[in-house]
Amino acid sequence: MATTAPTAYRPAGFWRRLRQGNPSEAQLGFLMLIPAALVLLVVMFWPIVQVVWQSFHFERLNLPAEGRYWIGLTHYQRMLGGSEMTWSLSNLLGWRLLALALVVALWIGALRGGLHRRTALWWTLGLLVVAGVLMGFHPGEDGRWNDTRFWNSFSITLVIIVASVAGSFLVGLPLALLANVPSRWRWLVRVALLIPWAMPRVLVGVMFAWLFNSTNGVINDVLRRIGIEAPLWLARSDPAVWATNITIVWATSAFVGLILLAGLQSIDTSLYEAAEVDGASAFQRFVRITLPLLRPAIAVALIFRTLTAIQTFDIPFAMTRGGPGRTLETLGIYITSTTNNLNLGYAAALSVALFLMSLAITVLYLRWIYTED
Amino acid sequence: MRRRARPFTRILVAVGTLLLIANGTFPLVWIILTSLKDENELIRTPITYLPADPTFSNYVQVFEQLPFARFMLNSAIVSVSATIVCVVIAALAGYALGRLNMPFRRGILPAIVITSMFPALVLLVPLYRVFLGAEIPVITQVANVLHALGMTFMPVDLGGPNLLNTYWALIIPYVALSLPIATLILTSFFQLIPKDLESAALVDGCTRVQTLVRVIAPVSAPGIVTAGIIIFVNSWNEFLLALNFNTSMSMRTVPVGITMYQGEFAFPWAVISAAITIGVLPLVVLILMFQQKIIAGLTAGGVKG
Repeated sequence: MATTAPTAYRPAGFWRRLRQGNPSEAQLGFLMLIPAALVLLVVMFWPIVQVVWQSFHFERLNLPAEGRYWIGLTHYQRMLGGSEMTWSLSNLLGWRLLALALVVALWIGALRGGLHRRTALWWTLGLLVVAGVLMGFHPGEDGRWNDTRFWNSFSITLVIIVASVAGSFLVGLPLALLANVPSRWRWLVRVALLIPWAMPRVLVGVMFAWLFNSTNGVINDVLRRIGIEAPLWLARSDPAVWATNITIVWATSAFVGLILLAGLQSIDTSLYEAAEVDGASAFQRFVRITLPLLRPAIAVALIFRTLTAIQTFDIPFAMTRGGPGRTLETLGIYITSTTNNLNLGYAAALSVALFLMSLAITVLYLRWIYTED
Repeated sequence: MRRRARPFTRILVAVGTLLLIANGTFPLVWIILTSLKDENELIRTPITYLPADPTFSNYVQVFEQLPFARFMLNSAIVSVSATIVCVVIAALAGYALGRLNMPFRRGILPAIVITSMFPALVLLVPLYRVFLGAEIPVITQVANVLHALGMTFMPVDLGGPNLLNTYWALIIPYVALSLPIATLILTSFFQLIPKDLESAALVDGCTRVQTLVRVIAPVSAPGIVTAGIIIFVNSWNEFLLALNFNTSMSMRTVPVGITMYQGEFAFPWAVISAAITIGVLPLVVLILMFQQKIIAGLTAGGVKG
């Protein structure tokens, strides 16, 4: 260009290196990162911003005349409390009062020195959750919460998170320990661990709906042969919760097993030999060596499982369409059905709630990993 | 050397391994058995375990009741395109993060990994609006250009560019959803390739780009296959977005299509089982061929994450 003044000496001009096809490492690196950055920004980060923005708006596509307009926090008000929420005495009695009494007792104990403050804090949180699930979150006969459907889906999602994460860990750990034993059938073990991971979750749901079929399902057939009274799995709410959790555990424990297996294989075997020489029993070796060294892998497995459990959608949808009634309507199913009803504003607000839940859990886990190291 | 375990322990381990294998394979085996029975046999009590007289009529029914071949084609197009695009992008990023000396390297990878923790459910509403043709800066313009180029494979005309019921509606989110894990796998894979290989090529007078194409690309084929399989499986299995974005029968993917066989009250389990068997066949073949690679990829993604 004619107007450019002679610049200071640069050993290799940025554009010249690029033109010559011989960029520096940093240049090449940033160039190579551009597509990934673009995709993630446009398809992952931008929608998150968009969904938060959307949640402050009224938009129902089935009411096109209304259009889309700003309504502020109305959706969140409707979701969490609502204008019709009443705090009557009868609502405060029962489990809540009991929980309150327990919390007071706990803190009296803590302040008098009989109990660690931190322990008291955790118990308080636990009690609040339990009391909340028993009284508040459930749409009782005169549900105090405006959107009882949200609290119902919230509580069933919590139940699924706790039950299926614990379940898949308790099943996944033995799977990993067994898969770690060298045997002639190693490839079959690998295939058996990969099939549940690779099956589409919906099809796992459909498949188990057939296995759990009350008259012609194989599970009830086996139960009858043993002489146990076979429940109507998917037609009653309690067995349906069990059946769904068992299915989720089946679908996910194999993946947990694979991650734990990788952790097991990274443990130095000489540690076991040393412990054996010192006379440690198999159980002692497991508790003193395996479990502590497996902690990073356990943490990773739990994080992944919890984050996928929050999003539980496919399996309950395939098994019962969220039923019977709305027993198994998870947050994911509620969001989807709100979207299908074309209420995009409220669906966005629900999505934000889900996102905040997974963010909170990620932060909790990350703190747990980093503080203890 | 460790001494041999006691007989009791060995039996325990053998039984456990047997249980593990049964646990992993039994449900699928049962579905295959079901698919070979006819509907009358299914409603018989007590139930039969092996099909009394095996029939393939259910497999014919799968294709007659619904356009299942079309579902397979849709799934294949979507998954293969998403896999190719995602692998290319992830390989570029993985190479940059795994091998090149660049600033902010240690910060970029965690940022990408954290993206993989975003729930796909959160994408549902915003992407639905975008694909429906809501005015969104940048994205709307891109969609307009794609539409003008005739690249909306099979547009359902709702007035204006509308990406719902097109392959794009699935390929775009699938690429993004698999990108973090694929980048992670490829980054850890590129880190394993010896650094000398590159230096040797550079000393011999190759430019960086030439080194990449002639030396690194051939060596990294196994890692790319691993990442590709995992992206393919993820895309083949995705249900939520496929269910909501592609609602016309001719644009359904396999997992969504299979849920369409059941009526309100009728559950043709034999046909559904046959459909499941066909639908997971590609996945089972992949597992049988590449089991070790897949496990290596999954755990590379998992343990470092």
